[in-house]
Amino acid sequence: MRGRLLLLLAVIGVAPTFSFAQAVIEGQVELPKTSSVPVVVKRYEVVTTRGIIAVKPPLAVVYVEGSFPKRTSEPPGKQMLQKDLNFVPTLLPVQVGTKVAFPNLDDTYHNIFSFSPAKRFDLGRYRSDETPIPSVVFDVPGLVTLRCDIHEHMRALILVLATPYFATSDSEGHFRLSGLPAGHYTLKAWLSSKTTLERPVDLSSGSTLHVTLP
Amino acid sequence: MSASEAPTRSRFLRFRLKLLAAMMVVISAMTGFAFYLAQRQLALNAEQELEREFQGEIAALHQVQDVHRAALATSCRVLAEKPRIHAALEDNALDLLYPNAKDELRDLMRQKDQRLEESETPALQATFCRFLDSRGAVITPPNPTDFGTLRLEEESQLALKTLPGEEQIGYLLRRSADSGETVDEVIAMPILSSETGEPIAAIVVGVKPVELGRHRLPSSIKSGIWLSDHLYLPSLADSAQTTMLEREVTRVIAPLDRPEKSFRVKVNGVPHLLFYKWLNPDSLFPPAYEICIYSLSDLLTRQEQVRWQILGAGAVLLFGAFAVTHFAAGRLSGPVTQLVEESAEDRAERDRAEAALEKTSKELQRSARFSANTSHQLKTPVAVLRAGLEELRAHENLTPEGREEIATLIHQTYRITSIIEDLLLLSQMDAGCLRINPSSVDLSHLLEAQIDDLSALPDGMDVEVESDCARVQIAGEKHYVGLILQNLLENARKYNRPGGRIQIRCQENGEWAVITVGNTGRIIPEPAREHIFERFHRGSVGEDIKGHGLGLNLARELARLHGGDVRLLSSENDWTVFEVRFRLVQQPSPATAKVQ
Repeated sequence: MRGRLLLLLAVIGVAPTFSFAQAVIEGQVELPKTSSVPVVVKRYEVVTTRGIIAVKPPLAVVYVEGSFPKRTSEPPGKQMLQKDLNFVPTLLPVQVGTKVAFPNLDDTYHNIFSFSPAKRFDLGRYRSDETPIPSVVFDVPGLVTLRCDIHEHMRALILVLATPYFATSDSEGHFRLSGLPAGHYTLKAWLSSKTTLERPVDLSSGSTLHVTLP
Repeated sequence: MSASEAPTRSRFLRFRLKLLAAMMVVISAMTGFAFYLAQRQLALNAEQELEREFQGEIAALHQVQDVHRAALATSCRVLAEKPRIHAALEDNALDLLYPNAKDELRDLMRQKDQRLEESETPALQATFCRFLDSRGAVITPPNPTDFGTLRLEEESQLALKTLPGEEQIGYLLRRSADSGETVDEVIAMPILSSETGEPIAAIVVGVKPVELGRHRLPSSIKSGIWLSDHLYLPSLADSAQTTMLEREVTRVIAPLDRPEKSFRVKVNGVPHLLFYKWLNPDSLFPPAYEICIYSLSDLLTRQEQVRWQILGAGAVLLFGAFAVTHFAAGRLSGPVTQLVEESAEDRAERDRAEAALEKTSKELQRSARFSANTSHQLKTPVAVLRAGLEELRAHENLTPEGREEIATLIHQTYRITSIIEDLLLLSQMDAGCLRINPSSVDLSHLLEAQIDDLSALPDGMDVEVESDCARVQIAGEKHYVGLILQNLLENARKYNRPGGRIQIRCQENGEWAVITVGNTGRIIPEPAREHIFERFHRGSVGEDIKGHGLGLNLARELARLHGGDVRLLSSENDWTVFEVRFRLVQQPSPATAKVQ
């Protein structure tokens, strides 16, 4: 269910580039080995170990950095749901300037806040019937840790990126970036607050690049 | 008796004095020993009591610390559960840390409720609160007045090398303008991540340390804290004394080899017992020691009391002893006095006896000397008399009767000479002048010669002489042994009857040579037997038998001088036997033969 949603979100993020770019990067990011046994119902959580923030089981956000033609339109809005006392998704990459809404789908109060330098905010307590749905515009690139002041276990990450081209890998690290313009770029894979893998890539129109990171 | 009474009395007094002195020494020693024991016991008891008190105080301290710790731990748990604290710490928003922890920290720093002031469980009442970051460094609050103002160097002392995994106890010396020098107890408690369980930060709070001995008089107990070579002892006002104590305590504690101990110190000239105990073993904070000083003036007063009690008891004992001595001396010295008196009498008697003995001895010597002199003086006139008579007899115109008469007179002079010689000998013996030079004497040879002489006597007695002599050698002087034998044999002949018999036997018996001389003739009557060896005793024999009553006496004295004896064996049925015994010559071993 969530996987499909992730895919959907990824498609939404990539969709506007279809009209004039044709290049595709697909491949796999080698994710950190995790000792935890795979669970049937995938349930990601944000874990801070010795100051390093990561998602567990690991996921990667793959994105392309470079100079892209500036677009006049605002990036489309995104949603970070609170459902069954969890954030959905756990890791949400957004382009700078994206407005993220935080709908409360639970039958209880939530109080979403962040102390992260990239974005400090505090939505206060609200229920599912709150209108309008509280939302925040993320205008500085960086990692934002979301917490709920009422439910201490609730964590999520919003990775604010200065690029419209990004995708979240699946649990094996597979990813696909499509609709990329041709050119010379840097391919990056965010694994944790400490680790971001990167590689320069040359993209030509209509080509499909296969990349394995690192 | 009156002459000996004075010395006896003084002796008795001396005895009593000695008895008293001995008792005094014993009682003094006992008093001293009792005093020593009591002092020691008192000191020991006092020290143990103080030690118990100290341990009790320390236990109370730990109890309060536990309460503080529990309160702090609860606060830490609450803080760790707060997402905002996590967020502030993990998301690098330290500026938001204190504002978000404000409620919890305010709880910690809350002023104690006046109504709860008297409650026995003191709540945690922090003087300051600080967070330590993940490296153990102090996070300075944006608004320090809300969280307890600390000077920069005080705050820096709160930092730890690493973030502790468990609570740490420390002490912080604080100086402020208004209250001077104080020491705060510092508790550092880690904040454990609620997801990983790892320490993500720590909270450090300062509290006023529990004052030990709160319920006691301020003069009898002083408690303080020794921290980094500094002694914090607020109850001791005298700074010079504090400095002195600080030096002393630092000297003892600085090696850090003993977590707790006690020793004696003098404060203001009064001995005190000082206990110390390491308050924060295994802490990341510098070591701190609880110091308690107990005045021993109570102990000294008690010791003084006991000293007087014991001295009083000793004096009473001594007085009692004096009475007892008086009584005992009276009782004891009764027999002693009697003994002294008796011994005085004994001595007097002995002195008298000695004097008498000396007198007798002198008289005896004088008489012996007189006898000897007389004997010598007599010999000469007798010799002159005999020579005259001999000359007279040789005269031609003498009638045969006259010649016979003169011959009898001459014989009498021989008898006189013989008596004189015997007397001389006896007097020599009496005076102890006679010395025997013993040599080996052939007894049988001597006997033979004597028997020959005996048979040549012109008395006309027809006596048969039998002799049965073994050859024996005795130790003696030949002349005197001969004299003994001669006396015995002459007696045997003298007291014999005509046609009688003399039997002489000589044999060895053990170490003795035993000679028996038996003769027929009148027996010696029973009552006379014990007197026959006395001088000038001649028994009941008639005056018809020649003799002067010296022979047997002389023989016995001489035999005894030789180590032997003469005795009467038997005298019955016409048969009288005398026995004389001499020591045999010791058969000399070849080695000693040459020397002799």
